[in-house]
Amino acid sequence: MKKIKLILCAGMLFSIAQSCSDDFLEVEPKGQQVSSNYYKDEAEAYAGLVATYSSLRKNSGGFENMITMMNAASDDNYPGGGGPTDGLGIHSFGNFTIDANTIPGSFWSVHYQGIFRANILLLNLPKTVMDEAKKEKFAAEAKMLRALYYFNLVRMFKNVPLILEPLSPTTMYEVTQAAPEAVYAQIETDLTEAISKLPVVADEPGRMTQGAAKALLGKVYLYEGKNSQAAQILAEVNGTPGGTSQYGYKLLSNFADLWLTDNKFNTESILEVRHYDLGGSGWGNWGMDSDQGNSVNVMVGPRGYVKKSADAPDLPSGWSFNVFTQDFYDFIKNDPRFPATVLDLKTMQEQGKVEYIGGDQDTGYFLNKFTPRTSDISTGPGDAVLNYRQDTYVIRLADTYLMEAEALGATGSRAQALLDAVRARVGLASVPVSMQAIKDERRRELAGEGHRFFDLVRWGDAPSKLGSRGFVAGKNEILPIPYNELQNTKLVQNPGY
Amino acid sequence: MKKELLSVLSLSFLFTSSMMLSQQKNDTVKEKSIEEVVLINVGYGKQKKSVVTGAISKVTSQDLENVPTGRIEQSIQGRTAGVSIAANSGAPGSASTVRVRGLTSFGNNNPLWVVDGVPIDQSGIGFINQSDIESIEVLKDAASAAIYGTRAAGGVIMVTTKSGKKGRWSLNYNGFLGFSSPERLVKVLNATEYAAIMNERSIGGGGNIIYNDLGSLGVGTDWQKQVFNNHAARSSHEFSASGGNENSSFYMSFGYQDQEGIVATETSRFNKKTFRFNSQHKIFDKIKIAQNFAYSYSKQNGIGNQNTEFGGVLPSAIMLDPLTPVVVTDPILANQSPYNQTYAIRDENGNPYGISSAVGQEIVNPVAYIKRTLGNFGWGNDFVGNVSAEAEILDGLTVKSNIGGKMSFWGSQGFNPKFYLNSNEQNDIRNSLWRNTGQALDWILTNTVNYAKKFGDHDVSVLLGQEVNIMGIGFEQGATHYNLPTNNWAEATFNMGVTDEDKRGWASEYIEHRLTSLFARLNYNYKERYILTGIIRRDGSSKFGPNKKYGYFPSFSAGWNVSNESFWPTNNIVNTLKIRGGYGSNGNVSSLDNFQYLALMASGFNYTFMSNTIGYTLSTLDNPDLHWEVAKQTNVGFEARLFKNLNVNFDIYSKKSSDLLMQVAIPGYVGVTNLPWANVADMKNEGIEVELNYRKNWEDFSLSLSGTFATLKNTVTNINGVEYLSINTAGFQSMGSITRTEVGHAYNAFYGFQHLGIFQNWDEVHSYVGSSGTMIQPDAQPGDFRWQDSNGDGKIDDEDKVFLGNPLPKYTFGFTVNLNYKNFDLMAFAQGAAGNKIFQGLRRLDVANANYQRNVLDRWTGEGTSNDYPRLSTSDPNMNFTRMSQFYLEDGDYLRLKILQLGYTLPDNAAKSINASKIRLYLTGENIYTLTKYTGYDPEIGGNVFGIDKGYYPQARTFMFGVNVQF
Repeated sequence: MKKIKLILCAGMLFSIAQSCSDDFLEVEPKGQQVSSNYYKDEAEAYAGLVATYSSLRKNSGGFENMITMMNAASDDNYPGGGGPTDGLGIHSFGNFTIDANTIPGSFWSVHYQGIFRANILLLNLPKTVMDEAKKEKFAAEAKMLRALYYFNLVRMFKNVPLILEPLSPTTMYEVTQAAPEAVYAQIETDLTEAISKLPVVADEPGRMTQGAAKALLGKVYLYEGKNSQAAQILAEVNGTPGGTSQYGYKLLSNFADLWLTDNKFNTESILEVRHYDLGGSGWGNWGMDSDQGNSVNVMVGPRGYVKKSADAPDLPSGWSFNVFTQDFYDFIKNDPRFPATVLDLKTMQEQGKVEYIGGDQDTGYFLNKFTPRTSDISTGPGDAVLNYRQDTYVIRLADTYLMEAEALGATGSRAQALLDAVRARVGLASVPVSMQAIKDERRRELAGEGHRFFDLVRWGDAPSKLGSRGFVAGKNEILPIPYNELQNTKLVQNPGY
Repeated sequence: MKKELLSVLSLSFLFTSSMMLSQQKNDTVKEKSIEEVVLINVGYGKQKKSVVTGAISKVTSQDLENVPTGRIEQSIQGRTAGVSIAANSGAPGSASTVRVRGLTSFGNNNPLWVVDGVPIDQSGIGFINQSDIESIEVLKDAASAAIYGTRAAGGVIMVTTKSGKKGRWSLNYNGFLGFSSPERLVKVLNATEYAAIMNERSIGGGGNIIYNDLGSLGVGTDWQKQVFNNHAARSSHEFSASGGNENSSFYMSFGYQDQEGIVATETSRFNKKTFRFNSQHKIFDKIKIAQNFAYSYSKQNGIGNQNTEFGGVLPSAIMLDPLTPVVVTDPILANQSPYNQTYAIRDENGNPYGISSAVGQEIVNPVAYIKRTLGNFGWGNDFVGNVSAEAEILDGLTVKSNIGGKMSFWGSQGFNPKFYLNSNEQNDIRNSLWRNTGQALDWILTNTVNYAKKFGDHDVSVLLGQEVNIMGIGFEQGATHYNLPTNNWAEATFNMGVTDEDKRGWASEYIEHRLTSLFARLNYNYKERYILTGIIRRDGSSKFGPNKKYGYFPSFSAGWNVSNESFWPTNNIVNTLKIRGGYGSNGNVSSLDNFQYLALMASGFNYTFMSNTIGYTLSTLDNPDLHWEVAKQTNVGFEARLFKNLNVNFDIYSKKSSDLLMQVAIPGYVGVTNLPWANVADMKNEGIEVELNYRKNWEDFSLSLSGTFATLKNTVTNINGVEYLSINTAGFQSMGSITRTEVGHAYNAFYGFQHLGIFQNWDEVHSYVGSSGTMIQPDAQPGDFRWQDSNGDGKIDDEDKVFLGNPLPKYTFGFTVNLNYKNFDLMAFAQGAAGNKIFQGLRRLDVANANYQRNVLDRWTGEGTSNDYPRLSTSDPNMNFTRMSQFYLEDGDYLRLKILQLGYTLPDNAAKSINASKIRLYLTGENIYTLTKYTGYDPEIGGNVFGIDKGYYPQARTFMFGVNVQF
C-alpha cells in the first residue's frame, strides 16, 4: 500500500521535473528557418542575394515604377493615363501638387526593402560556409545594390534615414534622417568596396559587374558635383569614344536596336533590369516581388487601338501613360532618333491609317521605346498585359558618354569626342561641345527613360522648364516623405510639404 | 525551478481532510428532496452548489434524456444562459459555432472543451455519444474559469461521462426511427413570373422583350422540390449497461446513428458508431483507479460547396431559371448543343439533364450537380480515453494522477469526373481520384494534490496541480490518380492502371503545441455562510514569444449565503439566497499560430537571371513579446430558491478583452514586406444572464419549467489607435467589404449605405439637393433608391456609409416544459435569438438572369407602388442592387420549437413480461416550427460567417417514433 503511494508520488514528481524546464516549450519549426540559422551555405546565401536583386524591378515593374513616374514630371511627358485620377501619385507629381498622402509609399518602401535584404545578407555572410572569393563577390553585389537603392532614395527624397543593419522592434522608432552628405558618403564607400570585388563579366546575365559599379559611381560623383572624380572613373567605363571599352561596352550602330525586345545585354547595356514573360504574374501579385513582368509596356501603349492600313504597326492596346508633350515633339521631330522614340499616332490617325482613343492629356505622341508590339505579348500563364519581357536600362553607354562630357565641364577634346560619338551613332554631324549642347543631346538621346526630371533638377533648370507645370523652386526638387513614415517616428517632412 | 519543486513538496504535507475529496465521477445526487446536495464540477474537483462562488451553468443527463441523439453542441443549446450555439450547417453531422459570453478575440473564439479531464479541440468534439454524458458544466466567468488559465478566455465547457452505480446491474436500450423534411423553402418565381420579370428588366434597361409567349410557359421546374427530400430517413440505436458492487463499477455503451440529409440525399448522409467503457475500482481501501475509454467511427457524405456563392446545390436551386427542364427528353434537342457535349451528365435513361441558356457561371442544374459529386465522403476514427489513480495518503490529503489523450485517424476521398454542366463549369481534360488521410495525437498528464480540513466552523481546502499537455502530434498525406480509364465514380479505384506521370502525392507534418502548467486553488467557508475562493494558474506555451513564455492567471471570488445567517427568518418566500461575485483573468492562446512571434525566412522574392529564380529573405519582424490574449471579467450575481420550488440564477458581467492580436503598421524604412503581429487591441462584452427553474410534484402529476435568457453587448474599444480595421472584414462579391470593425461598435458590424426609400417621381429626384443647391443624385430616376448623404457634403460616396446592424444576437433565450401525468410524459423545448441582422445573399449580383425570390413582385413599377424594392433594369447606374444597404439586411429574430416529445410508459406488467423494469414509447418532433420573419431557409447561421447567408443548408424537421427499454 505504502509502496504504491510512494510510486504515485514519485511518478508525479518526475513528471513535474520533466516539464519544468524551459526547453520543454521549444518546438522545432520543421521546414522553416529563422535568419540566425539561415545563410549557412552558398545556396542559401544566393537565395538571399536574389531577394536583394528583386527590388531592382522598381525601375519598370508594377504600376508605381521609376520610369513612368519620373517621366511624368518632366517637360517631355505628361502623366497621361485614363483620367486625372488614374494614378493619384503620378498625376499629382506631374502637376507638382503631390503631398504626403498622394505620394505612393512604395517608392520609399521598396527601396528600403532592398536595403534591408542587403543588410541582412551582409550581416550573415561572414558565417556562411562557401568559397571565399565567391562570398566576396556576393557581398560586393549586395553593397552595389544597396548603393543603388540609396542613390534613388537620396535623389528622390534627399532627407532619408541611413540604415546599415536590420532594425529591431525596440529601435525602429528611434531612427532619424541622415544628412544627404552622409548618405552619399556611404554610397561612395559601398561602390568603391564593391568595384574591386565585382567581376568584369557577370556569372549570369543581369548580375552586377565591375563596369556597372564604376558607371554608377561616376553618376553618383556627378550628382554630388565631384566632377573631376566623375570624369576620371567614367573614362574607365567609356574607353575610347566610339570604340570598345575595356569592359566590352560599345555603342550599338543602330539606335532602334536598343529597343528590340529580345536584344538583351547588348554591348551598350551597362546596368540592365531583367523582366520575364513566363512568371505567370496576375493582378493578385502585380508589383510584388514575385511579379517578373514589365509594367511600363502596357502603361504607355495607346487605348482602343485599331490598325487600319497594312503599314501601320501591330500594337496591342494599352493605358496611354507618358504621352510626349508638343514641346518635346517639336524639339525632336527632325532628329534621326524620332521614329524609335516617338510613335506619332496623331499623324497616322489623320492619315486614316489607325484609330485610337485618346486618354488623359492626349497628344497622340506615344513613348515608342516601350510601346509593345503584338509579337511581344506573352503566351505564358497569367494575365498577358502583366507579363511583358522587355528589359530596361538603368545605365547605358550613351548616358555615360554624355555624363563624362558633362563632368569634364563640357570643354576639351575628350568631351567633344564623346559628344560626337553619340551623335555620330545616329548619323548626325558634330556640333561644338557646350553645356547646352550636352543638355540638348541628353534630352534627345535619353527621352522617356526616366532621367529628364533628375537632370533638370541637377542643372538647376527645373524652375524655368517646369514652372509652367506648377514646379515650385525650393520645394519640388524632392518628393514629400510618405505619410505613413511620419507616424510615431522621428522623421520630419521635407520643407514645403 | 528547484524553488518551485520545494514549495510544492512543502505545501503538500500541510493539512488534513474533508470536503474536496470526492474526485470520483459517480454520485451526483439528483435533487428529489428539498435539500440540494448538488455537486458541481468546478474543474479539477467538485463543490457543493451552495458554496460555489462562480457563474457555472450545469446541464444533467436528465435534461438530455429526451433530446434526440445528435451532436453535443446542439444538446446544450438554449439550456445555458450566455452560451450561444449556432449550427454551421443543417447537413447531418455538422458542427456548431459555440460562443460563451460573446466574442473574446478577433481570432479564435472557441471555448475549451474538457472531457473527463482531457482537453479536446472544438473541431474534434463530435466523437461524444450524447447518451454517455452524465453532466455538462460551463464555466462562464473568469473567476471560475481561471483554473484553466491560458485557454479559458472563451469559456470552459466540461463534460463528465457516465459511470456505473453501486448495487444492481442495469441495461438500457433506446432507439428511434424517423423521417426528416425541410421546414420551409425559399419562395422563388415560377416560369411565367420569371419570364415577365426578365422582360421588365430588359425594357427597364432600354432593351427588348426576351420572352414573347408568356401564356405557354406554365409553372416550369421547381428546383427546390427536385433537391429537397421530404422523407429523409433517420435512425438511432443505443445500448448501455452499467453495474457495480462495493469496490468496482462500470458503464458500457454501444451507439449507432444514421441520418440522411434533406438536401441532395444521395450526397448528404451521416453515420456514426460509438463504443464506450468506463469503470472505477477501489483497491486497498484508500486507492481509487478510474478509466474512461471511447471509440467513435463516423462517416459523412459530402454535398460539395456549402454556403458560398461559388456554386452548390442550394444556390443553384434558388437561382437557376425555372424555364430549364430537369431532363431533356426531346431527342432533337438532346442532340443539339450544348447537350451534344461528350461529358454532359445524363440520367439513367440516357437523357441529358437540362442546361440553362439564360443563367450561367457556377449556377447549374442542381440535380446534375449532385450526380457529379457522387462518391465523395469523409470518415474519422477517434480514440479518447483517460486513466486516473487517486490515493489518500494522510488524513484529508489526497494525491491524484490523471493521464489521458485523444488519438484520431481521419480521411476523405472523392472522384472528379469529366463533366459538362455549362460553359463555365466543365472539365474535359482529365478525371481524378483522390484520397487524403491524417492522424493526430493529443495527450495530457495532470497531477493534483488536495487537502481539505474542517477546523470547527472553518472549512478549508487547498488544491495544487501540475499539468503537461501536448497537442497536435501528427501528419497528413494524400494521393491523386489522374486519367482513370473510367468516368464512373462507382467503378473508379486506385487499383486501376495509370502511368507514373498521372500519380501525384503530397505530405505535411504538424507542429505540436506544448503547454505546461502549475495551478492552485484555495477554498474557504465559514459555516457555509461566507465563502472565499482564490485561484492562480501559471501556463507556459510553445506559442508564446521568448520574452513572455509564462502567463499568470489569477482570480478571486466571494459568496455570501444570506439564508444561512442566524438573522435570516425562515419564510416560505425566499428559502435560500446566495449573493456572489468574482473577478479574474483568463488567457486565450488559441488565436496564436505556431511561430507567429518569429520572423521566418520566406520565399517569393524572385528575380530573373537565366529564368525565374527564387529568392529568400525575412518577410516580417520578430515580436519576442508576442503572447496570449487576455480576458478580464467581473461577474456579480445571486442564486435563490423562492417559494420552495422556484430556483433563480442571475448574473451580470463585464468582460474586457485586451492584448488582442492584430497586425501593426510599421514604417516602410524598416524594409519588411509583411506587417508583424502584436497584442494591441481591446474589446468588451457585457450582459446579464437569468436562469429559472420551477419544479412541482402533485399526486399523479408533476411539472417542471425552466428558462434561460441572456443579453449581450459587444463593443470594440481599441484597435491600436487606428479608427477602424480594413482587414478581416466580410465581403460579398463586388460590394467589397460589407462589415467594419470600428472603435465604439460591435466586431464586424454591418456597414454600408442607408437608403431613405425610393424616388417616386421626377420631382423627388430634382428636389433632393444638397446645401449648395445641386442635386445629390443627378443620375437617378424614379424607382431608384434615395441614398442618405450622411456627411452632408452633397454627394454620395464611401464617406456616407454608416453602421446598419449587428450579426451577433443581442438576446438569446430558451424555454423547457416537462409534464408528467401518470404514465404519460410531455416535453417541449424552444429556443431563439433576437437583435441580430442577417445578410440575405441568396441572389448573386453578377449572374444577371438568376431567378428572383418572390419579394420581387413587390418592386417599384410606378409612383406609389413600392418604397423598398427598386425598379428592375439590366443596368444599374444608381447601384440599387450592387451597393451594400439595408435592402439586403433582414432581422434574424427567431423562436424555434425545437423539441416536442410525447411519451407513454407501458404499465408495469407489460414490462415484467419480458423481465424489463420499464418500457416507454415516444413520439418526438425536432425543429418543428420556427417563428421568424427571415426569408432564407434558416435564421440560425453559424460557421463564423458573420451572419451572411449565401445558401445555408437548413436544419431538418424530423418526426420520430422511439422505444426505450430498461432492464
